[in-house]
Amino acid sequence: MKLLTHNMLSCHIKGVKNGYPFLIEVIKVSEHEADFDPDFLKHIFPRINWLAFLQGAEAMGCREGLPEAPTETYLEDEQFQKAFHHALLEVTLEEGSLVCPETGRKFPVAKGIPNMLLNEDEC
Amino acid sequence: MVRVVPNAGAGLAEDAPSTSGKEYLTYFAHRLLEFRRPELESLAQTVGCQDGQLQWRAPAGDVEHSPFWYLTLPSEEAAVEISKRMILTKMLIEVWAEGEDWEELKAAFEAFPEDRKSTWLRPDLTFRVVVESFGSSLPMDEQLDIIKRLEFIPFKGTVRLRDPQVRFVLLRCDCGDHGSLIDATVPPRLYFGRLVGASNRGVIDDYSLKRRRYLGPTSMDTEMSFVMCNHAGVRRGSLVLDPYAGTGSILVAAAHFGAKVMGADIDIKVIREGKVGKGGERLTIYSNFEQYGLPAPVGLIRMDAHRHPIRPDLTEILHAIIGDPPYGVRAGGRKSGLPPAEAAQRLLIRDRDTYIPSTQPYTLGECLRDLLDLSARLLVVGGRLVYFLPATPGTYDEGEIPQHPALKLMANSEQILTSRYSRRLITMEKVRLYDAATAAAYYAARPDPTMTIDRLHDIVYDHLPVPSPALTATATEAAAAAGGADCVDSATGAVKPRRRCRGKNF
Repeated sequence: MKLLTHNMLSCHIKGVKNGYPFLIEVIKVSEHEADFDPDFLKHIFPRINWLAFLQGAEAMGCREGLPEAPTETYLEDEQFQKAFHHALLEVTLEEGSLVCPETGRKFPVAKGIPNMLLNEDEC
Repeated sequence: MVRVVPNAGAGLAEDAPSTSGKEYLTYFAHRLLEFRRPELESLAQTVGCQDGQLQWRAPAGDVEHSPFWYLTLPSEEAAVEISKRMILTKMLIEVWAEGEDWEELKAAFEAFPEDRKSTWLRPDLTFRVVVESFGSSLPMDEQLDIIKRLEFIPFKGTVRLRDPQVRFVLLRCDCGDHGSLIDATVPPRLYFGRLVGASNRGVIDDYSLKRRRYLGPTSMDTEMSFVMCNHAGVRRGSLVLDPYAGTGSILVAAAHFGAKVMGADIDIKVIREGKVGKGGERLTIYSNFEQYGLPAPVGLIRMDAHRHPIRPDLTEILHAIIGDPPYGVRAGGRKSGLPPAEAAQRLLIRDRDTYIPSTQPYTLGECLRDLLDLSARLLVVGGRLVYFLPATPGTYDEGEIPQHPALKLMANSEQILTSRYSRRLITMEKVRLYDAATAAAYYAARPDPTMTIDRLHDIVYDHLPVPSPALTATATEAAAAAGGADCVDSATGAVKPRRRCRGKNF
């Protein structure tokens, strides 16, 4: 699971109000080179919840080079593009959990894939 | 929008349509008939043609499913770009002459403007002539005869079979009396012109499922996966989601076109565990991307499209959603939770780490409502949803095709699977921003999402006439002899119908 996916997910247990963002519990992180595409970064940047992204990057150990509150003008800066691209698409949570900030419910991430299925008493 | 003008039936030069732009003959592959024009329309949009720049003209003989339609495009560059992607169109041709026989062809050729011919018949350009035949086979000696009959054309360049600078095409349509076999009685005709672009149907073999490492029983076939991506307007840099990714065949095609892909599936075995290959290696979706040297998916999630975990304020992020929703006996739809009848006696979950959540049946109508609403929310305006809808001739009703206030129906293409079943590729485009209140009001006015097709299983399997007693004994023995003992209901002795049909099961 990359931070792109992490940014898109929130806890969907019935009744949960503050299920975003998931806390990340890391057991194993890996890195895979991904195609660098500045246009894609421009598309995705305004859709990213930056606070959640920073929090995730902190947990995954790729916070370096990511500013507190970037604006769209940062997208012209190559240093920023590289750091954003790396944290968004290259760093992968292989094993660990997504933890609901409200209930503490852990959604396991195994082989890089989060298991977001609810038990029947949660939906 | 795309316009269709009727064919006046005369030669090309006289009744060329009045729009600016250039008209090309589209020579379609004679399959997936209803998918062909929408594919070109979508590709035209993908390469930057604007609404109103496309115009179809009906083919000679005015046969709806003729493989020879005419399409006006804004420029030759657009035609060339489209041809790099097209799967169901074999060729785009600038027609110089056409006619019912050789005399007509020759006369039309002579009437075609000299300046347009001389540009391509220069002595310094290498060329070759490609001969194609629709409706009948063309042995080599006949091909040579045909090329000899082209002596009225003043070719000046040098023939070069490999990589010539200009390709000319002689297309012969001669269905003889096979019309009924090919589902289109196309009148005999000859076309001569310059080849502007030919499809690369070779990708279908390059990505053949026969050599695909990780496959499941419902993996989408290669040609269809590419056609679906074309209908969806997938391009380089697109972000594409398949909510029922399975073994990822649709996503492989999208990645081939340069998209970043995400997949979701409710089945953890398919999406995460994969299976063990012949050499003992583990095969998963990732194996398929590795096999073709494609970038791996940017995200795979095990989730339920009905009770999904996408954050509620996320919108306008995906360029395309492409999927084959679950239906049928082999891989029927499931969603989270217990069926209502069992929910009352729910067990206490003791160990949440090892508990396997229940799933319950998911009707197609409900599944599609979820899919459309998710698409209306997550697609960018101009983004497309492409999915398959099962249908039977007896139950199909155009009015039942699911709709959404933010989505517009762009194409509805039927693929006939058997005499009793077909499936329809539905293409929708997001035309306005998602508004939750409008969507809620739309659904409040239509409380029941169930579709006629949801009852298909009952219609086909449970409401068949009971065999008469005289026949039952024989049928029971036959079934037992065939090793199908479990097909026989021991209480009544009645033979249950075998749950099998060709193609996609329901």
